[in-house]
Parts: sequence; C-alpha cells; structure tokens
Amino acid sequence: MSSEMWAEKYRPKSLDEIINQEEIVSRLKRFVEERNLPHLLFVGPAGVGKTTAILALAHDLYGPEYRNYIMELNASDERGINVIREKVKFFARTAPIGDVPFKILIMDEADSLTAEAQHALRRTMERYTRTCRFCLIGNYSERIIEPIQSRCSIFRFSPLSEEDVKRCLRMIAEKEGVEVSPDGYDAIYEESRGDLRKAINLLQAAAAASGRRVDADVVYAVLGRVSPGRVREMIQLSLKGEFIEARELLRSLLIDEGMAAEDVLRMIYSEVMRLDIPERLKVRLSDAIGEVDYRLTQGSRPEIQLSALLAKLALAGEEMRGGGAALG
Amino acid sequence: MEEQPWAERFRPRTIREVVGNEEAKDRFLEWLRSWEDGIPEKRAALLYGPPGVGKTSLVVAAANDLGYDLLEVNASDYRTAKRLKEILGRASTQQVTVTGRRRLILIDELEGLSSREDRGGVETILDLIRETRAPIILVATVYTSLREAWERKLRELMKLSLPIELKPIPVVEVAERLREIASRVGVEVEEEVLEELAIRSEGDLRTAINDLEAVARGRRRITLQDLEALGLRDRQLYAEEALRRLFTAKTLQEAKGIISSTKLNYDELIDWIYENLPYILDDPRELSEALEALARADIHKARAERSQAYRLLKYMFDELAGGVALSLERSQGLLGVVERHLRAMGIPLSPLKLEERPEGISIIPVRYLGRDTWRRVNMAVRSLGGSWDREGRRWIVGYLRPPRIALRYWWSRERRRMLKSISSKAASRMHISTSRAIRDVIPILKIIFQSDPEMAEGIAEWMELDGDEVKWLSKG
Repeated sequence: MSSEMWAEKYRPKSLDEIINQEEIVSRLKRFVEERNLPHLLFVGPAGVGKTTAILALAHDLYGPEYRNYIMELNASDERGINVIREKVKFFARTAPIGDVPFKILIMDEADSLTAEAQHALRRTMERYTRTCRFCLIGNYSERIIEPIQSRCSIFRFSPLSEEDVKRCLRMIAEKEGVEVSPDGYDAIYEESRGDLRKAINLLQAAAAASGRRVDADVVYAVLGRVSPGRVREMIQLSLKGEFIEARELLRSLLIDEGMAAEDVLRMIYSEVMRLDIPERLKVRLSDAIGEVDYRLTQGSRPEIQLSALLAKLALAGEEMRGGGAALG
Repeated sequence: MEEQPWAERFRPRTIREVVGNEEAKDRFLEWLRSWEDGIPEKRAALLYGPPGVGKTSLVVAAANDLGYDLLEVNASDYRTAKRLKEILGRASTQQVTVTGRRRLILIDELEGLSSREDRGGVETILDLIRETRAPIILVATVYTSLREAWERKLRELMKLSLPIELKPIPVVEVAERLREIASRVGVEVEEEVLEELAIRSEGDLRTAINDLEAVARGRRRITLQDLEALGLRDRQLYAEEALRRLFTAKTLQEAKGIISSTKLNYDELIDWIYENLPYILDDPRELSEALEALARADIHKARAERSQAYRLLKYMFDELAGGVALSLERSQGLLGVVERHLRAMGIPLSPLKLEERPEGISIIPVRYLGRDTWRRVNMAVRSLGGSWDREGRRWIVGYLRPPRIALRYWWSRERRRMLKSISSKAASRMHISTSRAIRDVIPILKIIFQSDPEMAEGIAEWMELDGDEVKWLSKG
C-alpha cells in the first residue's frame, strides 16, 4: 500500500491545523476570508512551516482541488531566469475558473536567485499581477532585492520551540505505533533544533532502523549513517591526527553521497562551534572556514580546499595534545 | 587499403555534425549567409581557438552544406607575400568558379604567420580582405594561455574581420562523440574509459579521437584497465620523477624549474601532489602548511582561468614550488607516516620491522603475529594503499599513488543518474529542491530501505520508484 513519508503525511492541510506561528496564521486567514491576496514573501529557517503555510492557504482558498490553481517552482532547480519566466508566462496567461480571480505561483529558495534575475522576476510579477499572485520563499530577506520586498507582504517565520517540535513528534509516534524514550526525543531535538522536517525524517529513519523502539542510542546510530554524523566523525578523525582516514571520509561525502562542498562546510562549521575546545581556537578555525567558504565561490577545487581545512583541524588537535605549545 | 585515421574518417560532413560551440556556429553561419544579399561589411571571418575544437571542420562542413567551392591555403606554406597574392588574388576577385559554384577562401594556420618576418604576409591578407568579392575565412590555432599576446599581435586582422572564438568542447560532448564513433566502428568501450579520455583531452576532440583510436585498434572491448595500462604508466613515471625531485629541491628557483619542466599539466601536477602529500609529510604542521599552499596554488590557477589573466599563473608556481615543495623539513616521509598510522590504529610496532626499500616501505613481521594482529596490521596497511606481498612475506606500501580519476569526475554515471532521478521524485513530493533532497532525504530513505522493507514498500509506491531505484536504495 502506498504510504507517504511522514513529513508529508502529517503536513497540516489547512491553516486551522497549523499549531504554531499563530500570528502569521491569523493574518493569512484574513486573506482567505477576503478572498484576496497581496504578493507574499515568506522568510525564515528551514523546516518551520513556510511551504506548509502557503499550501494550506491555497487549500483553504480554492478547496480540495487547490493544486489546479498553484504552481510550485524551486529557484535552485530551474535553469535560469528565462526558463522561470517562460513557465510563469504559461501558467499566468489565463485567469482561473471560479470565484478567485488569480492563481498562486510559489517560488521556493527565491533568495538563491542573483540580483539580476530577481529584477527580471520583479518585472514578471508586475506584468501578471492581475491573474497571478507570487509567494516567494527564502531563508533570508536581506538576499531579496528591495524592489521585490517593497511589493510583498513580508512574513517572518521563527524556529519552532522545543516544546512544539516534541509535541508534534509525540503525536506522530503515537499514530504510527512507535515507542520513543524521553532521551530519544531529546536526541532528535538536539540534532534538528527547530527544523521540524528534519526532526520527523529522523524519527522515521530511527523507527525503521529499530523496529519502532527508538531511544537516544538508536538516534545516534542513525545519525552516524547520515551526513551530519559522518561530518562529525570526519572532524574527530582530523583532531586525532588521522588525516588520511578523515580525507577518505570527506571523499565519500563528496563522491558517494554527492553532497555539495558548501553543505559539508556548513556542517563542519556548526560542528566546530559545538566542539569542546578553547574559544581562541574556535575563532581561529572559524576564520579558516570562512576563508574556504569564500574560496569555494572562486572556482577552486572544493576537495582540495576542504582537505586543507581538515589538515588545519589535525594541527589544532596536535597542538591541544602538545599542551597548546604554538596556539594562536 | 590504408585506412584513414579516425579523426579524418569521422570529420563532420555537415554543420549539424560539428560538436559544440553552438553560439559561435550560429554567428559564423549568419555571417556566411549574409553574403547571399551582397557583400557584407566584414568580408572575412576569423575563427580562432585551441586545437581540436572544430575550426577547420566547421568551414569544410559549412562549404558542403551551403554549396561553396572551397579554396584552401595554408598561411604558413606560403611565406611570401608574393605567393599569397598570386594564389589568392585571382580567386578573390571572382565570386564564382568556372563551374558556376560560389567560392569560399580558407586561409588556415594563420598562427604560422609571424608578424615581424611576414610583415608582408599580414599586409597582403589585409589587402585581400579589403578587396575580396568572395568570403574569406581565416583560421588560427590559439592556445588559451597565449590568447592575449596573440590578439595583440594580429590586432589589425581582428579589426578588419569578424572574430569568432571557438572554445574547448565540454567533456560530456566529447564523451558523447567518442561513444558514437566507438559504436560505429563496433568496439565496446566502458563508459568510464570514454569519460576518462574526454577529461584528458581537455576539450580537444581531435586528440580524444586519436587517443580512442590508439587504445581501440585491434580490440573488441576496452576497459578502464586497458586504458590505464596504456596511458597511465607514462604519467606515473613523469609524476614520480617530478615529485621526487620536487621534494628534494633546496631552493625556490630549483623547485620552480622542476615544475615548469614536467610533462604533466598543472591539473595533473596538483592532483598528484594532492593525492600524495599526506603520505610524504607526517608532521601535522608541515602537512597543514603544504596543503594550504596547494589550496592557494589552486586558487591562483582558478583565478587565472576565470579572468583569463594568465600572468596570475606565476603565483601558482610560487605556491607549488615554495609552499609545497619546500615544506618538507621535519617530516620523515612515508616511513614516518606509516609508523604514525600503525600507532594510531593501536598496533604495537615491536613485532614489526619497518624499512625503506626502493619499491616502498616494507613491513616485515619479525615474529608470529597471530591471526587477529595480522588482520589489524593488514587493514591498516590497506587503508594506506599498501598490500601483503605473499612471496616476500611482508607488506609493501608504495611511495606514490595515482590520483583517483573518480575525483575529477565526482561520482560514477550510474550513481549520478540514480541520485538525480530519486531526488527529483522526492523533491516534487516533499516540496523541496533536488539538492536538499540529496542532502536531507536520500540518506533517510537509504536507512528505511535497508532496515524496514514494509515501510520501504509503501514509500516506493508513493514515490513511484522503479525496480532499479529501489535496489539502489536498498544496497548497503
């Protein structure tokens, strides 16, 4: 029997089902009542309900057949602004049937578009504004050009609280017949923070791996098999001076898992910040990570840059063991 | 019957068969077609670019397609202005040949014309262009690194003609063309071989076809091993030579000399150094400094290529020579690396004798190790790329290991295809981008598919995964 991934299965269908982001939800509900909508800009971290909110709004506005009235694009998957423009043109050419005179175009990761592409997008938004409302979604509003911001109602989504995340996990565990120990919930939250999608995915993998009896050990075992856990292992190997092994792991992340170097680097950064090492060393490593981050934009080979960073970690590890002889 | 070389035999006959450089092709054809409405403002087109990107092929194919009679001369064959004038003067004043076909003049190998000695040659060509009533096409092979100097040299020619630059052919397109040729000659070639040949050619299709012919002649099937046996051995020798000399260099000047005289190209050199540095430098500080220098060398190279400012390459040389080569001071080389590695794996060194031998570091058990210890040593040795030598009853860890081809190529075609199709299915159903799906969802799916068949089945149905995709997610 077909069954959705839990993160999809338990996605709220209507605005009424959304338990958090109360203020945002109540403003969105008003749009539904008025049956009118400005262009929208949703910003906030991953997994806090941005896409859910706009899908739920569309559901409440158009009814169960809402999919006929919306189009979802992901800016990072589309090949350039021209392709996007063509798709928008095709979609927005005609007004929808029914009592709502416009369709909704959802553009996720809009902040990944270059400023130039955003200007082109803004012109497109203006041209089709009669038959189409745009909902742009992104992590950071600073990366959206001012002319777009000023044409949109901006909604800022905040990370979910620990309580909200755990409540939601408990509800799913119960419905799916999964036993989760309290430290299991702690471990999942610790890893996912306020990113609910990540938390639910992790719960599902942990449930699958353990015959539906999840505790902290299970969660950590699962994490060891997903990227953040492997990045952590790579860092530990480097600090222990096992550079060759660490580099193997890096290769496996880049090659076998097909991860983007930027993502590996982001994980390295958040791991390093959590390490129990002298603060001064953290700052030095942060500086080195920042330098690599910049170099990745310069067209150099990612693996070499990341390896050089691992060697710096190895050196830091050596210095700590040697009593911090040449620290700083 | 003497067979034609493949590069000739498979030369494109029509414009459609010409691989790559779509934009340049369009501009060239537009110019050539404009002759149908009379003599255009630019009476000559100048096609230039690195070797093997299809400059001459494009002209020959266009002449075929548009029904021109092609008059072809080599600029370097006719050194003197007089000869050029004799040959071309008449041809260029007639638009049509005696058979009534239109005429097209191709002056090839323009790069052979030296501006000082052949001052007259350049002048003659300039005159020809000013007066010609038939389209003239100048073709010049210009290495990307020399482009600036060359453009300065032939400034006048460029001004008077329509310059069209042809760029190196993308790897995928080279591989695609090789695949086609292999199937036409009936040789079965492993996908990885095609990719490797394509990468090595650096966008030079002719070289790629020549290489394919060299490995494929007289064979029905070519594997990556065949290819490595044929080509890599040379590279390995060059690389061993270069790296050995590099790490014994005493001065910056000496190291720079070694780098500029090696037969490896810069990418290869960086690859070899990168692969081997951690096996040469066992001191963490030296390793860190050398890798940083290598990373900086790579940056300078990337900048030089991106901005086409090749003067920036000299900083790459300095980093490679000074930063990498001269980094070796305290490190004991491979012996130190092996010792350190074994110790880190918790293996006692007392029952082992470690020696530097010409073929690598030899590790000899001096007394019976027992199965468990033997296994642990074996594992540690293998992770350094070494192996057990049954006859000599010892392990050998070789000094140099070739860079892994896969690294330049990211991941195998199959894996790429799977990741792409599964992630796009996940992306559309879970309202996320494909890159986020690769990062966040595929690892989760793998765990589910490898541990809970029932849950996996439901998800497979929901995502409409096919049998191959399910199998790929389910294997460890």
